[in-house]
Amino acid sequence: MSAAAAAAAKPVPPAEPLPLVRIRELRKNFGLHRVLDGIDLDVHEGAVTVLLGPSGSGKSTLLRCVNHLEKPDGGFVEVAGELIGYRYDHGRLHELRHRQVTRQRARIGMVFQQFNLFGHMTVLENIIEGPVAAGVPRKQAIVTAVELLSRVGLAGREASYPRQLSGGQQQRVAIARALALQPRLMLFDEPTSALDPELVGEVLSVIRDLAASGMTMIVVTHEIGFAREVADTVVFLDGGRIVESGPPASVLTSPSHRRARAFLAAVL
Amino acid sequence: MPDAHPPAADGQAGQPAAGGGDAPPQDRGLPTGGPLTRRDEDSRLLAARLVAARHPGQWVSAAVVLVLFAMLVHTVITNARFQWRVVAEYFFYGSIMRGLVLTLWMTVAVMACGFLLGIGLAAMRLSSNPVLRTLSFVYVWLVRSVPPLVQLLFWYEIASLYPQLSLGIPFGHEFVTVGTAHLFTGVLAAFAGLTVDTAAFSAEIVRGGILSVERGQSEAAEAIGLGRRRIFWRIVLPQAMPAIVPATGNLLIGLLKATSIVSVIAVADLLYSVQLIYQQNFLIMPLLMVATLWYIILTTVLSIGQYFIERYYARGRRRDLGPGRGLWQIAVGNLPVFGRIRHDLAGLA
Repeated sequence: MSAAAAAAAKPVPPAEPLPLVRIRELRKNFGLHRVLDGIDLDVHEGAVTVLLGPSGSGKSTLLRCVNHLEKPDGGFVEVAGELIGYRYDHGRLHELRHRQVTRQRARIGMVFQQFNLFGHMTVLENIIEGPVAAGVPRKQAIVTAVELLSRVGLAGREASYPRQLSGGQQQRVAIARALALQPRLMLFDEPTSALDPELVGEVLSVIRDLAASGMTMIVVTHEIGFAREVADTVVFLDGGRIVESGPPASVLTSPSHRRARAFLAAVL
Repeated sequence: MPDAHPPAADGQAGQPAAGGGDAPPQDRGLPTGGPLTRRDEDSRLLAARLVAARHPGQWVSAAVVLVLFAMLVHTVITNARFQWRVVAEYFFYGSIMRGLVLTLWMTVAVMACGFLLGIGLAAMRLSSNPVLRTLSFVYVWLVRSVPPLVQLLFWYEIASLYPQLSLGIPFGHEFVTVGTAHLFTGVLAAFAGLTVDTAAFSAEIVRGGILSVERGQSEAAEAIGLGRRRIFWRIVLPQAMPAIVPATGNLLIGLLKATSIVSVIAVADLLYSVQLIYQQNFLIMPLLMVATLWYIILTTVLSIGQYFIERYYARGRRRDLGPGRGLWQIAVGNLPVFGRIRHDLAGLA
């Protein structure tokens, strides 16, 4: 019921011209192994897309291609109408300079499975590092950081070091760090897989709030219940291809593809 | 293997078996719950005091070592041929002080330049440019293969290879020309030789430190839009420091003592100043003791400095250090005069 309420509360964008994220015929090889084998995907502004699939199906690689942590071997990714990592010129895609990719990434937040907080920096320093590097005045960055910390339920922990926090708290700091750049899109790479079971809830609830606030998100997760509740679209990957996608109600309850059925039977 | 293929019901092992009929534990006749068993000895055992195991061997070995140490101290003090009065007399002697100063600034200058060069070499070695990578490898290989003394002599005699050095366009016009022999005096030769050597060893230390920082750190830094340089200096290098500092402390102390080899090219460092004196008055042992004591003092100071630098870079590494303490606070917190902080002591254990 609350899922329906959350979905209803989400602002419906008025007849948008283009999806925020457009992925077309994306291919990626690791050596001879084809990890992504022609992915086509649209993510609309304000929508939550959950990527499901067995391990090795390419979910994480797909996510990492969206902010160019992995360079695709074919196809393209477009975010807000901007080609990611490349520039088109006379029939060629020229790879962008590191600095230009850096600028593109600043509008795409990413949260990792292993948190990857900077261990030698306090919580506050972790959060303001990106904005300060991008030229935001330090004082202003601190004000934003403090707001974000209370938003993820960690008010007052500014001076702590990551190792002094629990896994769930660290992941919430990582979410605040990603939000500090005021991204238009958030990527979550198995944000709860490294957590003890009793800490999963607090992180999911922060992500749930974020979804309710209208943030566009792509989430890789194994939490089927969470996917059912929060996702607008569930995409099922297998062997580097999308084998099924659609609203959670249909994909999760009556999957038509054999592999999707087997996966869900094993997970549920 | 036999376990993997139980007959027939393999495919349905999950649901029906669990729901079906596994006997609950109490059916196996084992007691569950109920009052705890009690025996008469229990209260005596609970009241007894704990006595640690004794280690008589530790006492014996400690006593032996202490006696040997006392003998050593005794002979050093009582043997008149150490001539401690002479040692005291020359301890702050003018030329020795000048030698000490030269040793000190040579160590500092070589370490600073060598280490910066080493960071550069390590960055080259880890870069994606194969030319830079190979160059860095060859440099480290070559320099580590040649003894520092040989390098020193090489730089000292470089005028015989290149009598003149000039600044200009490669293969083209030359703007400035100087005689190499004028440029490479003993001091500069010593500085160049030791710096080249230190750079090679620092490069390997820094490279090892950088490799110890997990890949996720730079990925996270890239994801929040940091540039390459910022990632290296602000994210990777500070976290490599805990691995770099101990080895570098070793290198620095080694360098402090290695500067004494410049005495072979007549650079008046601490050792050479001492040698100049004892070659005239033949008070060899006491004057060598002067140099030795100064080296010990300097090494001690460096070791203490290293300890505090290690503590500084350990910030965020341990749960017990508390938030946001800088180098100075750690140093003050550890001086007995200022009163030690409890968790500092805990950290030492």
